Amino acid sequence: MGTENPNRVNTYPGPTPTPFAAPRSNMPISSSHPVVGSEASAFRPTSVPATLTTPFSSPGPTVGSGTPGFRPMQPGRPTPSYGPPTTGPTQRFPTPQFPSAAQPSMPPTSGVGQPIFPPTMRPPPPGHVPPMSTSLNRHPPPAPMGSPPQSLYSVSSRPNMQQPTPPTGPPSSLPGYIQSNTVTSPPPPPPPGSHQGGYTPQPIASSPFSSNQVGYTPQPTTSSPFPSNQGGYTPQPTASSPFSSNQGGYAPQPTASSPSHQGGYPPQPAAAAPFSSHQGAYGQPPPGASQPGMYAGGSAPPMGAMAGGLVEDFSSLSLGSTPGSFDVGLDSKVLPRPLDGDVEPTAFAGMYPMNCDSRFLRLTTSAIPNSQSLVSRWQLPLGAVVCPLAEAPEGEEVPIVNFATTGIVRCRRCRTYVNPYVTFTDGGRKWRCNICALLNDVQNDYFAHLDATGKRVDLDQHPELTKGSVEFVAPAEYMVRPPMPPLYFFLIDVSISAVKSGMLEVMAQTIKSCLDKLPGSPRTQIGFITFDSTIHFYNMKSSLTQPQMMVVSDLDDIFVPLPDDLLVNLSDSRPVVEAFLDSLPSMFQDNVNVESAFGPALKAAFMVMSQLGGKLLIFQSTLPSLGVGRLRLRGDDLRVYGTDKEHALRIPEDPFYKQMAADFTKFQVAVNIYAFSDKYTDIASLGTLAKYTGGQVYYYPSFHSAIHTEKLRHELARDLTRETAWEAVMRIRCGKGVRFTSYHGNFMLRSTDLLALPAVDCDKAYAMQFALEETLLTTQIVYFQVALLYTASCGERRIRVHTAAASVVADLGEMYRQADTGAIVSLLGRLAIEKSLTYKLEDARNAIQLRIVKALKEYRKLHAVQHRVGNRMIYPESLKYLSLYGLSLCKSTALRGGYADAQLDERCAAGFTMMALPVKKMLKLLYPSLLRVDEYLVKAPRVDGEFERICKRLPLVAESLDSRGIYIFDDGFRFVVWFGRMLSPDLARNLVDEDSSASDFSKSQVCLNERENELSRKLMGILKRLREGDASYYQLCHLVRQGEQPREDPSTSPAIISTRGTSNQIHEFEFIFITV
Amino acid sequence: MAWEVILWIIFFIINMVLIASNLYQIVCLSDLESDYMNPYESSSRINAVVVPEMVLHGVCSVLLLVTGYWFMFLLTLPIAIYNSMLYMNKQHLIDVTEVFRYVDAEKKYRIAKLAVYLFLFILVVIRSMIAGKFSTILEPFHPTNEDLDILSHVLEF
Repeated sequence: MGTENPNRVNTYPGPTPTPFAAPRSNMPISSSHPVVGSEASAFRPTSVPATLTTPFSSPGPTVGSGTPGFRPMQPGRPTPSYGPPTTGPTQRFPTPQFPSAAQPSMPPTSGVGQPIFPPTMRPPPPGHVPPMSTSLNRHPPPAPMGSPPQSLYSVSSRPNMQQPTPPTGPPSSLPGYIQSNTVTSPPPPPPPGSHQGGYTPQPIASSPFSSNQVGYTPQPTTSSPFPSNQGGYTPQPTASSPFSSNQGGYAPQPTASSPSHQGGYPPQPAAAAPFSSHQGAYGQPPPGASQPGMYAGGSAPPMGAMAGGLVEDFSSLSLGSTPGSFDVGLDSKVLPRPLDGDVEPTAFAGMYPMNCDSRFLRLTTSAIPNSQSLVSRWQLPLGAVVCPLAEAPEGEEVPIVNFATTGIVRCRRCRTYVNPYVTFTDGGRKWRCNICALLNDVQNDYFAHLDATGKRVDLDQHPELTKGSVEFVAPAEYMVRPPMPPLYFFLIDVSISAVKSGMLEVMAQTIKSCLDKLPGSPRTQIGFITFDSTIHFYNMKSSLTQPQMMVVSDLDDIFVPLPDDLLVNLSDSRPVVEAFLDSLPSMFQDNVNVESAFGPALKAAFMVMSQLGGKLLIFQSTLPSLGVGRLRLRGDDLRVYGTDKEHALRIPEDPFYKQMAADFTKFQVAVNIYAFSDKYTDIASLGTLAKYTGGQVYYYPSFHSAIHTEKLRHELARDLTRETAWEAVMRIRCGKGVRFTSYHGNFMLRSTDLLALPAVDCDKAYAMQFALEETLLTTQIVYFQVALLYTASCGERRIRVHTAAASVVADLGEMYRQADTGAIVSLLGRLAIEKSLTYKLEDARNAIQLRIVKALKEYRKLHAVQHRVGNRMIYPESLKYLSLYGLSLCKSTALRGGYADAQLDERCAAGFTMMALPVKKMLKLLYPSLLRVDEYLVKAPRVDGEFERICKRLPLVAESLDSRGIYIFDDGFRFVVWFGRMLSPDLARNLVDEDSSASDFSKSQVCLNERENELSRKLMGILKRLREGDASYYQLCHLVRQGEQPREDPSTSPAIISTRGTSNQIHEFEFIFITV
Repeated sequence: MAWEVILWIIFFIINMVLIASNLYQIVCLSDLESDYMNPYESSSRINAVVVPEMVLHGVCSVLLLVTGYWFMFLLTLPIAIYNSMLYMNKQHLIDVTEVFRYVDAEKKYRIAKLAVYLFLFILVVIRSMIAGKFSTILEPFHPTNEDLDILSHVLEF
């Protein structure tokens, strides 16, 4: 092991040694001061020896060599690191160590013994350095090879034994152990000697390793350790225990350090907070140093317990870790799984309670870096994900404010809307803009006196001054034309495939059933065009009893046969519209036309709609084959995949579509695409229409009314009836020094920072990245304000404003700690999908991985110095799931594999969908929930809450699937109901038709129908309940029986394969991290 | 020598037009950047002149080649090749929907083009002066202008 670690170190020596080292060293020092407080000063004198000891101690044990190795890594790169890093780390260590060394006896012993060694130790690493190269990593010298297996063995054998111990031991036993450690530490010196010897450490190494792993393993697997991890970040009670245990052991005052950890985030200045956590980390290393001795001692049980305790400290310090062994058979349970779904960072909300809710705005990190250099070191995207109209639960609706007389209060200069963060001065006569700091006059109508604390006395009557999210009613100056009525226009393909698949009928029924629920009645307007090889217009004038159909067959020169009456007021023409919808399926039931004049029809629809704007719903089931915008079959050529031309398949073939999309946006038309074809329909081209108009793509491959009816009905109904904001524009403002640079999602930019959104609803989210304009931010807080100006369905013009504040920090560790995995993943996914439009899929995937790897490497550099994090991957608690989600992203439909892994259309549709998904749904899609339901079905009574109790989310690994169970896999877009092979036949028979159970199981999709028995009703109840939890899409049920389906894997249920693949893949993935 | 004068005048005009067109496009782009113009208008204006400009540039190149001005032809060649490459890939027009993403690159490209055209312009002016002034205009006054001929040879790259 010892040798191996050095290698690592060497390998790291990457290009940028110095830059990192310098900042780091400074930071630690500064941070350490505040944290340590008085004690630190006391210890500092001794710190010098301490520094010596630390390096030493670490080398001494087998791991020791590892530590030095890590140090280099942290600072940046190995070689240079030795010079500067050693000093840097040493300085850092001293202070922390001493606190940890609370037991006076400890430091001396270790210090004394070790000073000698440090020198010896160091020389070797330098020696290693030169040889270092990436190749070394891959092919570590013989020593590493030997050691890894050992570690593996130990891992496998130990976990069981030690898992129990950590929980029991930590707080009370730890101190005792530690002391024993210290006592034992003298033995370590020998190890150091062995160290130099080189390979002897191996055996030793294995034991330490194992102990480490043991310690770490428990965290993820067992629930109790886990909380401790999180404890660091969320002020849980459990969190405290790990902390106290740590400090109890190492530092005399548990309270001093522990508070800093937990409470640290909100109250402390940015710099200090990170520190505290660091310190904790630093404090531990010394123990680690002594530990080696323990390890060397061998596998004595107490030792193991000790290690467990230490590890716990570690984790609680936010250094979660996983054993990075070379063994592929690594216990996958060790890996963190986001079984709680999306966990929003709470510290942020706690710090700025007046911020808008995280469902509206999420920053990738709520600690804004104060300098460019920090930004470049924070390898992840810096940005926000905004979902301006997110559905708010009952009682939390966004308050509506009407400044009837005063006009909307805004900053004169930067046009910021009044928000909770503005400050009133001058007795209430002026207010200071929080974004540009300009002093504005308060209008007379808006004036109110200030109370003693400087707050307005009428604060409670002004939600805009207390809530982060408000909606202003916009006066006439915010309109360029009278607010448009809600307008729904349908462009329907009536060619033979549309009729045969039953789409036409389902669609007509659904629209008819939704007529009552269309928003904005009685102003709502509606219109229809159908097309095959000709275009059919319908006159729906209210005086008619039946709609009049007009056919235009001149596709080259499209004209609208009737100036009015193609678009009619729904409440006036209701009977005609209903008559039309009733007759629509029968009108075309004998249609044998296979052509599709989609392009001309689109132009016709545009001409009809351009007066008002609105929403255009396109039902398309054939590849456009006539007139302008005709498309051809693409993607059949296998040879294109993997070449530079591959991406061309994912972008529109004909510029006509982009041009049309731009025109639609210009005239406030949003396009939603419903595609049904069983053959290639070129979603890449059609989807462009939705992409640039703020629309959405719904794709139902091989639509068949017997299967997809419910899905189409639900999703179309939701599309038609959900609250929609019309002719909207959105802008996000932020404080001085920060600027939004790029936007990602379905919209079109009208100017550099103005998003044109012809229609917005609660299911759309937009991501954006920002950059620092100045090299150094001088402000303490950066404010973000999202403003969405839109026309509500009721005809009122409104401005929805979300305001959030985030503090500026100077510390990279703090940035990581405040990171929001959900937002990061969402942004990364969008970036990757955009990248896949201009590069190969592989490049897009690599970009994700590279960014994550870089980020974790950076984080490692922050922390590795003081820990012997040998083969382990370390990551901040906040990014616990980042690598997992990154992997899922790479395996998502939009990005995975190559030609054979996903149909081109499906891939493109998934891409368009993911570009618009809000964070929560994105995470659910990336890491679906897996529930085992057979127990609930068989045993549990129907009681509220029982379901949640029995059916918990399971990790998505093959081991979770028991062949005797029934599982529901839910990714937010569909369900896979998985029947185990050994499932009792009774159960299966009760749930699925007997005749179908045997044969039809092989079909990929069988509609589960409610049957006349309790079990079936229960199962349907579960599905219903799950669907209610996420109404934006209808989750169609797929049945899968274990093993019976030859194609259980990719096409029918990619989900399952991903569960299969995940464990191994994750290993590979993390292996990358580990070996980096 | 009269045809040479005419030729240089033609080059002069072509060059002026190219420069004007580039300036116009740059102005459109910067207007777009500073929000004085919306993307629809800006891109349609730019797109309207892109193809004529390319054609004109091609004509200019061919003329230079045909008339044997190798050096100046080589100067115009890179742009001509790049233009035809853009045209082949159908990337020569500004994409309205993504205009803000590429506005910087487009602007830089046009500024670079403008620089080349300006350089070309200077050459053309010099050459036309030589061609006009020394060869034809001054000829009657200096029946034997050996030295000047040498000068013009020097300038004739």
